[in-house]
Amino acid sequence: MTGPQNFQKKSDSDKELVEAIQSGERGLFPDLVQRYERALYNFGIRMCGDPTDAEDLVQDTFLNVFKYLKSFRRETKFKNWLYRIAASVCIKKRRRSKFAPERELSLDQFLPLDEADVERVTPRWADAPLEQVLNDELEQQLQNGILKLPEKYRSVLVLRDIEGFSTEETAQILNLTPSNVKVRLHRARLYLRDHLKHYFKDD
Amino acid sequence: MTEHHHHPHDEQCIELFSRLSEFIDGELDQPLRFLVEQHLAECKACRVCLTTLERTIDLCRHSGQAPLPEALSQRLNRMIADLQKDPKSS
Repeated sequence: MTGPQNFQKKSDSDKELVEAIQSGERGLFPDLVQRYERALYNFGIRMCGDPTDAEDLVQDTFLNVFKYLKSFRRETKFKNWLYRIAASVCIKKRRRSKFAPERELSLDQFLPLDEADVERVTPRWADAPLEQVLNDELEQQLQNGILKLPEKYRSVLVLRDIEGFSTEETAQILNLTPSNVKVRLHRARLYLRDHLKHYFKDD
Repeated sequence: MTEHHHHPHDEQCIELFSRLSEFIDGELDQPLRFLVEQHLAECKACRVCLTTLERTIDLCRHSGQAPLPEALSQRLNRMIADLQKDPKSS
């Protein structure tokens, strides 16, 4: 069986480009920026909510990449390293903001309070084909819900369910244990599900 | 098979509730996965809970990407030009 680290090394599609830049071909740095600028901008939008903050996050992240790329030893995929920098830039930025104060989400708050609150019929929003449900308004609701999440839950949800990183990779990016990632992810998903349930309650 | 309706005070429901994401992500070991599947077959409330959670994840995975603002693109180009001119950054 292939271990996660081997998998990460084998599937690093940026390996050649990164090695070329590390060996002195600095003219290739814009190619690396082009590869990730849009993804990082969207990561910034999800994490910060504000387009100006997202733009700053992209610039600060690439500045750090340029500065530290020589010391990147490829113990992980370049993309994971890049998001680790982006997440840390984001956390520093969030500490200076008053938006979404940190709080714990407990599992109990997502349990139905009594029998009357237990859903026994699948609601239409969860049952209908995805293309019938997903529209601009819902995307906005989803984004609002994500932004209401405390930062430590939001970063895990964005990396796992939007950016598509694995549990192991997310743990590595955020410097958490995999079990911590799982706990935070589950609570974040439950929070977002409740947000959507509320949005669809009159549907 | 008889459906049971003990949610939310049923301990098995609560235990399952705490592991649903791991179940969806295929991260449970086989014995636990089997227990969850068995429970889901019997408990409609937990099946609904699973479906709404799966749909939430699907919506996240299919959410759209904003285009890169032109101003940011220009800002990055300027930054790169400055960095590449700076002898200290080599």
